[in-house]
Amino acid sequence: MPEAKPGTLERYQLPADVQERLDELRDLSEKAEAGDKDARRQLKQAVRESAPEVIARASDVSRRAQHMLIETAAGGSELAQYALSGRLDVMREEIAGDNPTPLEVLLTEQVVSGWLWLTLLDALNSAQFWKRAPSEVRVSPSYVRYMVKLQESAHRRFLSSVQALARVRKLQSGTPAVQHNTQVNILAR
Amino acid sequence: MALEQRNGSLYYYRSERVGGRVRKVYLGSGRLAELSAEAERVERERREADREREHAELERLESLAAPVLEIDEAADILARAHLIAAGCHRHKGEWRRARGEARNS
Repeated sequence: MPEAKPGTLERYQLPADVQERLDELRDLSEKAEAGDKDARRQLKQAVRESAPEVIARASDVSRRAQHMLIETAAGGSELAQYALSGRLDVMREEIAGDNPTPLEVLLTEQVVSGWLWLTLLDALNSAQFWKRAPSEVRVSPSYVRYMVKLQESAHRRFLSSVQALARVRKLQSGTPAVQHNTQVNILAR
Repeated sequence: MALEQRNGSLYYYRSERVGGRVRKVYLGSGRLAELSAEAERVERERREADREREHAELERLESLAAPVLEIDEAADILARAHLIAAGCHRHKGEWRRARGEARNS
């Protein structure tokens, strides 16, 4: 696989302030689920005020991470890179549907990233089971076992993300959206 | 495997574990011993290089997985927060909309 340039991985991490707000949302959710009415009130306010921006920034990081995965999967081939990007755009459109809420956009990005990561692992693992694979790309059985575990975990997470999107759509249908004034352009490059 | 020098001659042994005990097995001496030891050294270095390559590859894979996992976690937190804020709750692991509150929250 091609090497990432030093320091570039930081671009694919959530900024510290976003992480802090996520921690706050998680804490409030836990308290609200435990029956704390004050926490539920605070959670509603936090979701109204800070969640749209957090969602937009997380979606942005997700898109950048997808780009890194595409570059890796394409292995230096511009054509493959272009084809994969196009494939993801089509997936995004199909999954997000018309007028997605910001949360649906993020969950769509999660599904797309999960699919891409799973596809990359599938390709890497398949190479190990290909009879005519050159010896220099073959790895030890323990490494293959680790890769298969990664693949299984990626598969579980992918299915879980699809389920999460379906759940949010089902449960939020008919409810007033918390706030829909943050636009995330899902076709932007 | 080891080369041992005694009385000016080289002897080549391999260590084997039999029934919980380690025993030395004699494999040859002289020029044959040198060649065998050299072949073993080359093989050991190749295995070490393979291990290093796999280790580097694993680190690379983990760095690729990290943002995907981070977004997964963020999406889970945000989806859960939205659902609870919208009045939904979990019943035996399954998310449900609270009667009355959900449509009016």
